[in-house]
Amino acid sequence: MTMIDFPAPSIGSDFAALRQDVRDFLAQEMAEHTPLMRARSWNGFDRDFSRKIGKKGWVGMTLPKAYGGHERSPLERYVVMEEMLAAGAPVAAHWIADRQSGPLILAKGTEAQKRDILPRIAAGTCSFCIGMSEPDSGSDLAATRTTATPENGGFTVNGTKLWTTYGHKADYMILFCRTGKSEDRHGGMSQFLVDLKTTKGITIRPIIDMAGEHHFNEVIFEDVHLDGDALIGTMGGGWDQVMSELAFERSGPERFLSSFALIEQLIAVVRRNPTEQQEIEIGRLAAHLMVLRRMSRSVAGLLDRGENPLLQATIVKDLGAIYEQDVPRLARSLLSQPAEPGSADSYSAVLAQTVLTVPSFSLRGGTREILRGIIARGLGLR
Amino acid sequence: MIADMAGRLFSEQVTPQTRSRAAQGEWQAALWRLIEESGLPLALVSEEAGGFGVATDEALSIVRIAGAHGVPVPLAETMMANWLAAQAGLPVSAKPQAVVDGTGLALSKAGKGWTVSGVLNAVPWGRNADRIVLILPHGGATFIVAVPTAGVTFKTAENLAGEPRDSAEIKLDLGADQVAETALPTEALAQMGALMRSLSMAGALETVLEMCVSYANERVQFGRPIGKFQAIQQYLATMADEVAAARAAADMGADAFDGTPSPLLVAAAKLRTGEASQTVASLAHQVHGAIGFTQEYALHHFTKRVWSWRDEFGTERDWGRSLGKAALADDSGTFWNFVTGPSGKGAAA
Repeated sequence: MTMIDFPAPSIGSDFAALRQDVRDFLAQEMAEHTPLMRARSWNGFDRDFSRKIGKKGWVGMTLPKAYGGHERSPLERYVVMEEMLAAGAPVAAHWIADRQSGPLILAKGTEAQKRDILPRIAAGTCSFCIGMSEPDSGSDLAATRTTATPENGGFTVNGTKLWTTYGHKADYMILFCRTGKSEDRHGGMSQFLVDLKTTKGITIRPIIDMAGEHHFNEVIFEDVHLDGDALIGTMGGGWDQVMSELAFERSGPERFLSSFALIEQLIAVVRRNPTEQQEIEIGRLAAHLMVLRRMSRSVAGLLDRGENPLLQATIVKDLGAIYEQDVPRLARSLLSQPAEPGSADSYSAVLAQTVLTVPSFSLRGGTREILRGIIARGLGLR
Repeated sequence: MIADMAGRLFSEQVTPQTRSRAAQGEWQAALWRLIEESGLPLALVSEEAGGFGVATDEALSIVRIAGAHGVPVPLAETMMANWLAAQAGLPVSAKPQAVVDGTGLALSKAGKGWTVSGVLNAVPWGRNADRIVLILPHGGATFIVAVPTAGVTFKTAENLAGEPRDSAEIKLDLGADQVAETALPTEALAQMGALMRSLSMAGALETVLEMCVSYANERVQFGRPIGKFQAIQQYLATMADEVAAARAAADMGADAFDGTPSPLLVAAAKLRTGEASQTVASLAHQVHGAIGFTQEYALHHFTKRVWSWRDEFGTERDWGRSLGKAALADDSGTFWNFVTGPSGKGAAA
């Protein structure tokens, strides 16, 4: 058995000047943001904000200049991402495009797709959603039923995608669907670029989550025609493409900073006159966060070197979800203040918001059980 | 590479029998002789101070590798004792040594030399050591003292893993070359010890995970290897998470070592490896069932070690409090500033 290696993050990867730029920008830009707004974390969707970030050169940072990018390193991008998350910036309008759709198109897209899409992603004006899950295909992605049938030089798509985050606002979907029969459970899958604003035959229905928020959607495809050039990468190569996307999707700081607003509220309260137990637990929060950051930055370095650290990313996500999911329990063990939706007290309001959000942390982006299955296979369990 | 050499030496020389005999209190003289000849005890000493100029990250990795092999002699302690002695210009040595906080001992000037007296508890490997290297405050300064064990009376005691943790009654005259002032604060010893134990735990936990994966692949129940069951797979995945975190935490502490340990990163490392030890050891015993609970099976040599080491040089509570106090007192503004360090540098190691 080989140990799962997390090499040290690159030396000199702190990029102090860039970090300070981001902090200064956010301090000014988000001066009016309440703690509750910040607690929405990467669920906050704000196209104006994303456009401003794009102007600063902080979206599509790693993309080639030829496609509107900035040719910065993944570790510089990491600094920008984590500063945005720590501040609770509304990044949802560009997050998915920046994190995985852009890199996918760069790696697998046609020249025309790259020229068309990447400059708009880098400008912060192009929003993506992910069409993976379906009513009968959640954790079991290979059970995907949506089909794209080759016809008239293009494809006809039929089926339903589910839990499509910001499908109602996004400009494009990366659609994962079946394009052929295969003996291999993972074969016969492909990915497509779908223009949600102009393509006919797509119905998007809202699904309201238990916190009362609308970000999920059901996206129904009825005899939707896609041109042949909508295909991304190779016909039948969709499974492998999705698997390499997942290392980007699972290893970032958004996998452990989702409850960060509550940590800050908690500290603001206990800082005045901390008890011994409060000191211990704040120390524990700090220690775990330092270690998660190191592991996550290590994965960024592996991605930088062109490796596919899916296993390491999976570990970061599993540990990260445990961390961010535990914050409300920990806060309640240190303070007697109740959770109160809409409270004027920012701690109580943020606690309420966080309690209602944390169940999703070990579901989205791969359930805990699926992640652990991947890790177990990686360990060499036969 | 001295670390590779160390790994080979331990693989060849440290067997389950070596560990069992050591746990019964038998000093592993032959093993120590090989370690002494290899130069490993001086790995943390600079060339000027009598070492070989090994890069510190490689030197520290030896401690982790020794932890992974359950090396039942005081290698980590001796490396640390030499590091401490060198901090004050005292001579270094390849003989087995103990290292401990000497606060509470009475140190006084006597002519050209010194006298030291008092009782020390939980001296690691005291009975087997050639000398005990101490740090202690005296007259508003900090001193490093090298006490030869020839004149020390030991009362034997052990930690959970059967490693010697003796009490020592000391009343000795020391020469001028055995006592020296240092610029280090007395806390540096606990910090260095915490770093060493973090590395040892990270190593031991990797071995525990390996043992569990092998066992799960071999042990057949209900007609198939137990590693085929999802319940067991979920346990092993959780262990892999924790082992990876322990390794990252210990490496984080080691990377920040620049001749002296970084207080905040060592605090985080010791807390995190100690916590991982709890989860990993308990799941390891669950995966192994009754056989893992026996004297005969090797698992306990590793689980007992991490249960001991997590208590030594500061518990999770101790380091959590120290880190929490620092975080809450940090006037750089926010918790995020604290975690990312001054201009994003400190904790970013």
